Amino acid sequence: MQALSTFAFVLIVIAAMMILIFRDWRINAAALALQYLAAFALVTLSWPIGLAIVKLIAGWMATAVIALTCLRQKNARDSSESGASLVFRGLAGLLIILLIFILTPTLQAQVFRQVDLLILQGGLMLLGMSLMQLGTNSEPYLIVISLLSFLAGFEVIHAALELSTLLTGLLVVVNLGLALVGVYFIIKVGESGETSKEEGDV
Amino acid sequence: MTLSTPMVWIILPLVVAAVCLVLNKRRVFGIILTSVTAFGLALLAAFFPEELVLSIGPLTLAFEESLGILGRRITVAYEMLPFIAFIFGMLGLWGFSSNLPGVPSTFRPIGLIMTASLTAAMGVEPFLYAALLIETAVLVSIPMLASSEQESHRGILRYLSLMTIAMPLILIAGWLLTGVVILPPESPLIGQTAMLLGLGFALWLAVFPFHSWVPMVSQGSHPTVVSFLLFILPTIILVFGLNFLNRYAFLRTSEEIFNIIRIVGTMMIVFGGVWTALQDHLKRAFGFAALVETGFSLLAIGFSAEGGLRWMLMLFPARALGYWLWGYALTRFEHHCDSLEIRAVKGCARRYPLLSLGLLLAQLSIAGLPLLASFPIKIALLTQAAESGSSLGIWSFIGSLGLFLFSIRLLLNMVMPLDDEIERLWPVLEKTSEYLPVLVIGVILVMIGLIPDTFLAWLTDILTAFPQLQ
Repeated sequence: MQALSTFAFVLIVIAAMMILIFRDWRINAAALALQYLAAFALVTLSWPIGLAIVKLIAGWMATAVIALTCLRQKNARDSSESGASLVFRGLAGLLIILLIFILTPTLQAQVFRQVDLLILQGGLMLLGMSLMQLGTNSEPYLIVISLLSFLAGFEVIHAALELSTLLTGLLVVVNLGLALVGVYFIIKVGESGETSKEEGDV
Repeated sequence: MTLSTPMVWIILPLVVAAVCLVLNKRRVFGIILTSVTAFGLALLAAFFPEELVLSIGPLTLAFEESLGILGRRITVAYEMLPFIAFIFGMLGLWGFSSNLPGVPSTFRPIGLIMTASLTAAMGVEPFLYAALLIETAVLVSIPMLASSEQESHRGILRYLSLMTIAMPLILIAGWLLTGVVILPPESPLIGQTAMLLGLGFALWLAVFPFHSWVPMVSQGSHPTVVSFLLFILPTIILVFGLNFLNRYAFLRTSEEIFNIIRIVGTMMIVFGGVWTALQDHLKRAFGFAALVETGFSLLAIGFSAEGGLRWMLMLFPARALGYWLWGYALTRFEHHCDSLEIRAVKGCARRYPLLSLGLLLAQLSIAGLPLLASFPIKIALLTQAAESGSSLGIWSFIGSLGLFLFSIRLLLNMVMPLDDEIERLWPVLEKTSEYLPVLVIGVILVMIGLIPDTFLAWLTDILTAFPQLQ
């Protein structure tokens, strides 16, 4: 179990860093799917697999919805960023990792005593990285991916505190709702992009 | 046979919303269905007896307050029915005006879904799960807000982000609160929990510095839709917040917490008021004025020991009608004028005198002009703030002047003739169907201002649902 949770934690760090650093939707979608797998592994430490798998399925559904919409968008831009911005976001991510390693033991001792340290670190890592992501971009699909990551982080921690079927169901609704909002914005932005392109052609 | 009240006020609106969505292209049918359902449910809630058993031939229908879902319960308590009557009544009014130009066709079903989700949020057990239902309402509201403007997208995404971040904070704070109850008062965990809870509510209520989405969305989205959103969301969140005060004695008895709420409320009144006074865009000014109103609600909660909760509840109907009229008038002006910049409405009062009157009446009613709906409550609140011995009263008064100043600026612009109108009489262009709702709501606002207890006090009955707060 310890090996599994350590592996899941490492996976979360890698996936969250990938989402933070890269802007290519293909990389982000793959990282988000990995992130949900790792979050599922951490949730199984607190919940029965039958219930925990709901989070994995809902997460992958949300990822698939966003990825397929990006795929269908004709003018989905490919990432063409300078190396400096990637390095900057990478360093910001490292700062978050450092901060979480420093803060988590105190937080566990004072507030979340019954929560395993790795679960807490994994959850907080997702929360921290997604907040950093939210603060460093304004692309609708990236914002929605950040919010999905934020909720995944919260779900990892909250699963260790409480087991409720209704809560799980409502969180699934919220996750899928967020993904649909993401789709809505991706399409809207795509449409306005096409319109302005056509106007430019004229 | 047993029915439950949640089926009537939660499931039924959802079913009607589904029908409206399916028949989205039948505009008139959608408007009638939404309005009739909302007004019907409002009337039913207003006159629903405490124990109702209906006998239809051999069939006996008994109503109970709770509905079990996935091992938890959703309750629509008898004590909350006046409030439910109020929110459904207002939904009916907004639904009725959804035939205005530019209102998205999704507004009606989304309005119904939001009202149903938020009604469920007020009655779900454990009550903390309400955070998820509020988040659901937020997610549902996105399509009706989105327009083609890029600026509106940024505002909506910010709104979505802040509301989504608030939800886990409330849930975690709620979990912490269950343990905090048994802790000694000096435990640092109490302060940390209160901080987490406060942060969650600050995000939800768009308290400074989390307010930026309000003017952005207000400027970019349709005024009818925005006025509905800015009415329903803070209203439900504030009533939901009463649960915390009712359940946790350490929150209820902490003088520091109420001091902070009072200061935050005053800060919102001052900042919102100053920003409102300085705005050049009519829709943005509405957003900032809504922040001032949230400030007044917080100030009222801060004075709950002096009866502030009654004032907070009594402000809701006056505010709702003011918002509706404001949204209605802005929608009409948006249709008639090229732009809603304050300079662009120059001379509008000469062409649309009653619509202009409606806009100014809505603003001045919200601002608390004597004889209008909000005045009796706001004067009581400001007096209480002044009597509290601190400078809160002065600052709140200064802040509340902001909307007056903006209204005066607007009035001066509106009555100023265009160059080609100087020599002519007022060329009135408005139709009866356009200004009739303005007159009706205007008369109601004046009547509320003259006899406030008759129109506003009934809503305070819901305090019986919060026995510790009476």
